[in-house]
Order: sequence, then C-alpha cells, then structure tokens
Amino acid sequence: MLLRCRIPLSTFTLGVDVAFDCRAAAIIGPSGAGKTTLLEAVAGLRHVESGEIEIGGRTLFSSTRGIDVPARERAIGYVPQDPALFPHLSVRKNILFGAAGAVARDGAADFSLAHVVSLLEIGHLLDRSIDHISGGEAQRVALARALLSRPRLLLLDEPLASLDVGLKERILPYLKRVRDELAVPMIYVTHDTVEVLSLADWVITIAHGSVVAQGAPQKVLTSGAVLAEIDRGRLENVFGAVLIESSAEEGRSRVQLTSGGHLFIPYTTKPLNSRLQIGIAGDDILIATQRPEAISAGNVLQGTIRELDVAGAQAILRVDAIEEFFVRLTPTAVRRLELSVGRSVFLIIKTSSCVILGDELGGFRY
Amino acid sequence: MSTDIWQITIFSLAVALASTLVILPLGIAVAWLLARKHWAGKTFLETLVMLPLVMPPVATGLILLKIFGRRSPVGAWLYDRGVEVVFNWKGVLIAMAVMSFPLLVRSARSAFAEVNPRLEQIAATLGASGPKIFFAVTLPLAWRGVVAGCLLAYSRALGEFGATIMVAGNIPGRTQTLSLAIFSFVQLGHDDEALTLLGVTIALAFVAVALSERLARSTVKT
Repeated sequence: MLLRCRIPLSTFTLGVDVAFDCRAAAIIGPSGAGKTTLLEAVAGLRHVESGEIEIGGRTLFSSTRGIDVPARERAIGYVPQDPALFPHLSVRKNILFGAAGAVARDGAADFSLAHVVSLLEIGHLLDRSIDHISGGEAQRVALARALLSRPRLLLLDEPLASLDVGLKERILPYLKRVRDELAVPMIYVTHDTVEVLSLADWVITIAHGSVVAQGAPQKVLTSGAVLAEIDRGRLENVFGAVLIESSAEEGRSRVQLTSGGHLFIPYTTKPLNSRLQIGIAGDDILIATQRPEAISAGNVLQGTIRELDVAGAQAILRVDAIEEFFVRLTPTAVRRLELSVGRSVFLIIKTSSCVILGDELGGFRY
Repeated sequence: MSTDIWQITIFSLAVALASTLVILPLGIAVAWLLARKHWAGKTFLETLVMLPLVMPPVATGLILLKIFGRRSPVGAWLYDRGVEVVFNWKGVLIAMAVMSFPLLVRSARSAFAEVNPRLEQIAATLGASGPKIFFAVTLPLAWRGVVAGCLLAYSRALGEFGATIMVAGNIPGRTQTLSLAIFSFVQLGHDDEALTLLGVTIALAFVAVALSERLARSTVKT
C-alpha cells in the first residue's frame, strides 16, 4: 500500500507519504490530526490536491497520471465512526445494500451473508429496524455491510471510540476474526494504544497533518516522543495468554503467557484454556531494586533493564522479565533508584492492573 | 349540488392534480440540485424558481400570456403544431403549475438538505451509482418533505386565481375553476352557489392541512 497525498485543510495541510504492507495498519494520533481525512481520501470521498494512492497494486489516485477512481469503483469498505446505517432500512437490507454489485474475486474468502453474519454474530438482529439495536451491534452491522460489498481494503474509523470499555472487549475479537478469517487488509484509525497493540501489525502516527513515526506497534508505541503526541498516549503492555487456573475464593485467576511465565489476574468466569489478551498499563507497574517483602501486589517479576529512554517529563524503561515489559516512570524516580541499562530490577504489578482485553480468536466459537 | 357545481369542483381537482403530477419530476430534480450541488449561476435559478411566490399572480399570469399567446414565438410554434394553450384547460394547468412550483421545490429542497450526506457517501463506497444512491437512499429519506411539498403545491393550485384568469380566462364550463367560480357567482349575486363552493373549499383545505400536519409531525430521521 502506498499513500502519498497532500490535502489542504482549513488550518493546516495534511501531507502524508507512507508505504507499507501488512494485514492491519493502525493510524494513531491526537484528535484533529487528519486521521479521518486520510481515510476519506483513500475511500475516494475527499478531494486530494496531489499525490498517489495505491492499494494492493491498484492505483486509485495519481495526480501525475490523472487517475482518480470514483468511490463506488474503489471496492473499499468504509466504516465511519458513526456507523451511518441507513435509517429507513432493516438490518438485513442495510447489510445487503452493497452485496448485489459486489465482484467476487478468485481465492477470496467466504463473503456470503450467512458466513459474515455468523462471524459477527448478528443473525438475531437481521429483521430488526436499526432503531432497535445497541451501539456495539450497530458497529457490527456497519462492518458486515462493508464486508458484503467484498472490499479489497477495509477502513475503520475509531469503531470502538463510541463504545464503553465492556463493549470494546466484545468487538475487538470480531475485528480480529475479520482480519484473520476473511483476510481483508485493514487500515484502522484510533487514538487508543491498546487497540493498536491488540490488532495492528503496523502503526502510523500522525500529528498536525504529518507522519511523526511509523513501524511495528511495539516499537512505535513505546517511544516517549510518540506517546507525548497522542492524547490518550497510554503506554500499554499487551500479552497473549492462556487461562490455566481460576479460584473464586481467592478472587483471582492465573494465566500462562506465551513465553511460559505466569501472571495473576482478577477472577474471571471464562472457561479454562481460554486464550486471552492481557493488558497492563505501563504506568501501573512499580519498579523496585530489591525484592519487596510483605506486599499486597500479586505479581512480582524479576528482570533486567534493556533500555532507558528519557524524553522530557517521562522516562520509559524496557525490562526483560519473562516477557518484555515497558514501564513509565518520572525522571526523578530513575535518578533516585539509580536505574541504568543492564541493572536487575523487580516489577511489581497488582493483580487488578492486569486487564483482560478480549478473547483471542479461537477462544470461543459458537 | 347542481351539475355546474360538480363540474367546477371535479374540473378544479383534476387540473390541480395534473399540474402537481406534471411539476413533480422537475420539482424533485430542481430541489435536489439546489440542495446538493453548487455552481456559478445557482442564485439565478433559485430566484427564477421563487419568482412566482413573490410576484403578484396577475403579473406572473401576464408573463405567461405573453409567452404562450398566439403572437409570441413560443405560442405561434405551438399553434402551428395544433396546440393552443391560452383560454382553455391547458392554460389553467400551466398557470397552476407555475404558481405552485416554488412551494414544491422549497419543501422538497429542505427535505433533501436534511438527508445526511454521509449516508450517500457510504452508499457510494458500497458501489452504488448516482441514480441508485438517489432512489435507494436520498429519496426514501426525504419522501415526507416531498409529499408535503406536493400537498402544498396542490392546495396552491386549487386556490390559484390571478394567473389563471390572465392565461385561461374565466369561461364557465371550459376554464372556470373553484376560485374563479366563487368570484363570478358573487359578482352575479348568486350567493347560494358561492357559499356552496365556499363549503367545498373549506372541506378541501381541512383535508390538506390535516394531511400535511401529520407528515410534519412524523419527523424525518437521517
């Protein structure tokens, strides 16, 4: 994919020049950075002054060659922030809106109504009016509508922004299914670092209309300079894990991380052997230079500092301890504890700081 | 009611209906253009469409008479092809159509403007062509405003007086509408007939207002 475009906006000019090849790219940045504008340009809904847009080897826009494929011929599924369902049509008619004209491509996955509906679990909604479905359901319906037009690329504009945390966990797994089972490449706009880490394999950071950083999520989202640019620039650690033990009495469950290490998480009723994603905010991890005694926190991990990045008012540590953890401290704490690369430290993580972000694909199937 | 009264009522209702149906496609097209498109001469079209609403109807009627009269190029051209417009029912229809057109356009235009353009954009990304977007998204979402506009236009056509009398005259049995007949009956001192027709117009007005209020109350969602 190649996105090179200049779009003059009222207060600044959006100028982007990126090339990437991935299943899911995230565009992250503060509000008003030009993220939505960029998606609209890719979808063909916004005038691009100059540049080039190429998706999957197909040129959609080129100012030098005079190409500007109209939106309806681009085969790009666009799910805007407000799901923009057609209010006069039932859920079923919404979903089927673009299906009749959809062009089947060789080797493409199963984009039938039945398959998409079961994948997104919206079968029970089909005959309802769109006034009678919830926000999370509306997002899934909008996603299904885009998928049934058999897009070559899916554009998602903060599909989770309007949902509360509980609903987010219910939608992330669906997005992962779409990514993995239907193999539709996606570009995903967000300003939530957790979403990026659990979904994207490439991240592009935009601020004030230009690209600040791009690369693998673990790299980009642990850079102090990038986090400073993002509104909700939470430093997050996200790990894949399997639930191996649950005790209601103890009020906690235990998971095994991909690396083999164990973590205690708050008690969950999910079945054993569920595959989960665990998120731990980099601000919720305490650092100690000696093994703490008599402490309430459930997880104490020993590790070694591999990297120390002081940027302005924050210091970001990369610590090797069963997995790679990123921790954010103040520069004062770094000085006081005399932290440096190579030093052995203990990570202290409260059980309640380990949050289940969503089921990994395959964790539950109906 | 006497046959005269029946004839006048049926004639008025039928020509007003025909006039509304004739202006409907053009009215929808103009309303959509004004609501969605921008071009250099837009203000000119806007003014032209709204002109009959602000001008004295008699003046509009005079313009129409000058355009369609046998001595004008348009009128002569039509006459050569066997079509005479003035002083018959076609004149009534044209006067009604021109006078009621702005009301249809105003109502339909604001209905189109209220349809969220986002929905049309999404329809485009789903592969819909321009006509499909219009007939599957825009028009169904704006239909209440369009129907309300039709009702207004129909009522205006029924009440039309000034332009009609200029273009079509007031010929009993040929071009006499409800409004023209009420005027004539009063002039001739036939108060009973005039009051009967008054009753008919009041009844029609009640129906029209009730219908349009119902439409206005069921709010358009976008």
